[in-house]
Amino acid sequence: MIATSGIVFRLAWRNLWRNYRRTAIILAAIAAGIWAMIFMIAFTRGMIESMVSDGIRSIPGHVQIHHPDFRNDPTVDNLMSRPGGELAASLDGKDVAAWSSRVRVPAVISSERGSRGVTLVGIDPVAETSISFVADDVVEGRHLEDDRDRGLVLGRRLLERLESDVGKRVVVMTQGADNDIVDRGFRVVGVYESEIASTEEAFAFAGRATLQELLGIGDRVSEIAVLGTDRREAEQLYLRLADTAGADVEVLPWYELNSYLGATMRTMDGFVIVWIVVIFLALSFGFVNTLVMAVFERVREIGLMMALGMKPRTIVAQIVAESILLLAIGLAAGNVLAWATIYSLSDGIDFSFVGEGLEIMGAASVLKPSLGIGDVLLSTAIVLGLGFLASLSPAIRASRYQPVEALTKE
Amino acid sequence: MNSVRCADLRKTYKQGDQDVIGLDGVSLEVEQEGFVCLRSPSGAGKTTLLNAMGGLDRPDSGEVYVAGKRIDNLSKGKLAEMRLRNIGFVFQAYNLIPVLTAMENVEFVMHLQGVPAPERAKRAGEALNEVGLEGLENRRPAKMSGGQQQRVAVARAIVSRPAIVLADEPTANLDSSSARHLMALFARINETRGTTFVIATHDEMVMSYAKRLIRMRDGKIVEDQLQET
Amino acid sequence: MSITLRLAWRNLWRQPRRTWLTAGAMVFSNVLLIFLIALQLGTYQAMIDNTLGAFSGHLQVQRSGYKENQRIRQVVPRIRDVAEELRSGLGLNSVAARGEAFALASSASRTYGIRIIGVEPEFEPRASRIPSLVNAGRFLDDPVAPEIVVGEILALNLKAQVGDELTILGSARDGSFAAAVVNIVGVFDSGLDELDRSLAQMPLEFFQETFAMNGAGHAVVINAPGLFEVESVAEKANSLLPRGQNLVVHDWNDLQPGLRQAIQADLIGSWFMYGILVILVMFSVLNTQLMSVLERTKEFGIVLSLGLSSGRLGRLVLLETVLIGLIGLALGVALGGIATSWFETHGFTYPGMEEMAQQFNVPDRFYPDLNAISLFAGPVVVFAGSVLAAIYPMARLHWLRPVQAMRSA
Repeated sequence: MIATSGIVFRLAWRNLWRNYRRTAIILAAIAAGIWAMIFMIAFTRGMIESMVSDGIRSIPGHVQIHHPDFRNDPTVDNLMSRPGGELAASLDGKDVAAWSSRVRVPAVISSERGSRGVTLVGIDPVAETSISFVADDVVEGRHLEDDRDRGLVLGRRLLERLESDVGKRVVVMTQGADNDIVDRGFRVVGVYESEIASTEEAFAFAGRATLQELLGIGDRVSEIAVLGTDRREAEQLYLRLADTAGADVEVLPWYELNSYLGATMRTMDGFVIVWIVVIFLALSFGFVNTLVMAVFERVREIGLMMALGMKPRTIVAQIVAESILLLAIGLAAGNVLAWATIYSLSDGIDFSFVGEGLEIMGAASVLKPSLGIGDVLLSTAIVLGLGFLASLSPAIRASRYQPVEALTKE
Repeated sequence: MNSVRCADLRKTYKQGDQDVIGLDGVSLEVEQEGFVCLRSPSGAGKTTLLNAMGGLDRPDSGEVYVAGKRIDNLSKGKLAEMRLRNIGFVFQAYNLIPVLTAMENVEFVMHLQGVPAPERAKRAGEALNEVGLEGLENRRPAKMSGGQQQRVAVARAIVSRPAIVLADEPTANLDSSSARHLMALFARINETRGTTFVIATHDEMVMSYAKRLIRMRDGKIVEDQLQET
Repeated sequence: MSITLRLAWRNLWRQPRRTWLTAGAMVFSNVLLIFLIALQLGTYQAMIDNTLGAFSGHLQVQRSGYKENQRIRQVVPRIRDVAEELRSGLGLNSVAARGEAFALASSASRTYGIRIIGVEPEFEPRASRIPSLVNAGRFLDDPVAPEIVVGEILALNLKAQVGDELTILGSARDGSFAAAVVNIVGVFDSGLDELDRSLAQMPLEFFQETFAMNGAGHAVVINAPGLFEVESVAEKANSLLPRGQNLVVHDWNDLQPGLRQAIQADLIGSWFMYGILVILVMFSVLNTQLMSVLERTKEFGIVLSLGLSSGRLGRLVLLETVLIGLIGLALGVALGGIATSWFETHGFTYPGMEEMAQQFNVPDRFYPDLNAISLFAGPVVVFAGSVLAAIYPMARLHWLRPVQAMRSA
């Protein structure tokens, strides 16, 4: 087989260009299919990447630790101590980029013009910097300076709804320890903006210590948000922390904290494969047709080669080589086109005309395609693999000709 | 020793609804260095016999031996291997692979035999010289005359020194001068290399080159005689 | 059967494998298109019904600007009269007045910020589904009673159940302190987390009293008999509104802009995919028909020299394409229709569906909606694309010269 591979390849290559029109059409079809395949995957990946990274910034973190009842009942009744001992040591691990403890309670914020229910989050702004979105997104006024800061940072939309402004005072009402309603005036010191408009209405930020004092909960916190060094390793981080955190707290990774995101991410891999296979199948009819035609019009030649002593399996190899070459050229062209398209769109595609619809999906309105080498390899492997299988039938058919019949075929 | 031996070959074809007798008990030995012409009206069995001898087609019964080995019961792959090693073919038409040059066509069988590239080139060059095609090595078949194409086929048939060359109506598509040249070439190769030729034909000119003339009718050998050339 | 038709049909079966492969590409795309389009229509319908039906309705009459700012003082004055006029003017019972405020709700052990809706107990059940989704206790029945129904998650968070008391604290319309103690009479489960987590409903008149509304409210909800009637109902409602009060009619697209845009965003992706499928079929047809024309060059040369016009030959090739296209159309519609109708009764789901479904307010099984549009839209476009793809092979016939054609091998 090795000895004949040179001539097999040469024959396959030259035969490919014999009917250049047919080859050009099928190549155009393959290239268009591959282009659509790669572009769509990159586009969806880009969208989901941004959903997940935005999502992780608003969860926030790759892993969170709570009182076991907190997620069902997110109030001051379900708090935990700040990490100590083994957990604290574990949070110093190499795979932890940052972590922060937070207080998180439902609250009502009122201005003289209106009131709104929000989730009030007490943060340590220094530790929080790289974990959640708020630090980078303060567009007016200032961010909280430390956990004792007595100011409040609100989202743009909430501020508008309350008809309040930076520098003005609002009243925060919430449930403190012992189910007492506690309230206090805060000065709005900063405004943040988010790509997801509903986030701007949902979250308000205060200093952690300030909030602990208001609620009368001492040094206890609601959640610990942990950002790992790599999202893809969130599972290992989660397992490691779950090991050391002890039984009196609940440790969860991001994909369970936001199960929609987790499901989207998992479904994405399935979508990629389904899409590759669908495109391939749509292509396969024309592809097999081309091979059938190529074999059909060369029956006599195949008979001649067999008469001269070419073995049936070398005939198979020749047809398969021809089909793989065809696919490989189409793949290369399609990939180059897709890469060029993706490169030219590297600033993102503006979908703000359906921005609020994308928001329901949890996606930003400017979407950037993101091409992963894994997806390129996967699509190439699937296309070549299925292409190989699809070419077997015409190839084997060709090898079954009897030389005499083939030679005398009109 | 003989190159090819056939014993009691029988073969029937279906043609539409009718059974057509191709071979009806043919026994034949072709001696080494022989130069045999099979003649018959068309449809009398000479192509069938040639195909059976070359292992292109299987007889319904009877035995075929090539270079002392029985071939009629070999598998398709083994048969291909046998043809590759022992037999050269020259057909009436469509002899060459259109996408390969003259040189590459001659090299084709050596590719399949696994002959190393330098030797392949050397032998193919020599064979093309021998058939008088020097300078046309890189032409593709479409750019050559019918006579030139047949000579490429001859070069390919002899290049791997087969025991026997089987030619089925090799001159049928040629003008008379090209046909004469081709036959002269066959005769010379038979003389100089000692290659055995079996040629099926109904061309009197071709028969005049034969050392042995076999006449067939209705699938049977009806006459088998030596002749002086 | 005309001679051209008979010729075209026979020509197809000279290369049955090729014909089937070409038709196969169409059938594949058609089946896929029918299923996906039916799935989309079904899902969009479910998204619209669930999102609008549960609470927001098809149309709402509000004070201009209320939708954007939702300030308690942006009111519709004498709202029950407005609702009554709309009911009689439109001849629809599915019209209900509402008031809306944000407040702090405290149970014995918990306090949450919630959205309180004042509703007309008599009319609300005809305007939204929440009254019918009360799964513990009952819906409101007395227009003035200090009663409340709350969402299931909210009840859970408040650790409260039917029969418990809630204390409501908030700001009234005039900026004064609003406070009330109400009885929980029912708990609803709308299936929409956002509503179940933060929404509560109390009788409109009691709401007006508590929040010093002075007879005013914030929205009159109108449900049209169907999605297609929304526009005409909106126009009529507009003409019935009292003048000079700066009232506007918002349709569901204004109220839930995300909904239509989510559908549009989804459509962009789908159109891209469908377009690609159609283009791939077109390539397949182009390839087949061009080959079939090229390999018959000699034959065509002969009939041309016999005096047949190249236009007639072109029609022959077109007819062949139309015939393959019809095979693809018929088989595609049949197979796609059968497969999709199976899913229409049994539903369709995939791993991860549950979490996705929740995000988009749809049940966690998809039921494709097979109708004339979903059944024929895809196949008809595939058919048209196929015929379009045969233009180049047809055009080549015009350049054909009998003598050269006959000589070609």
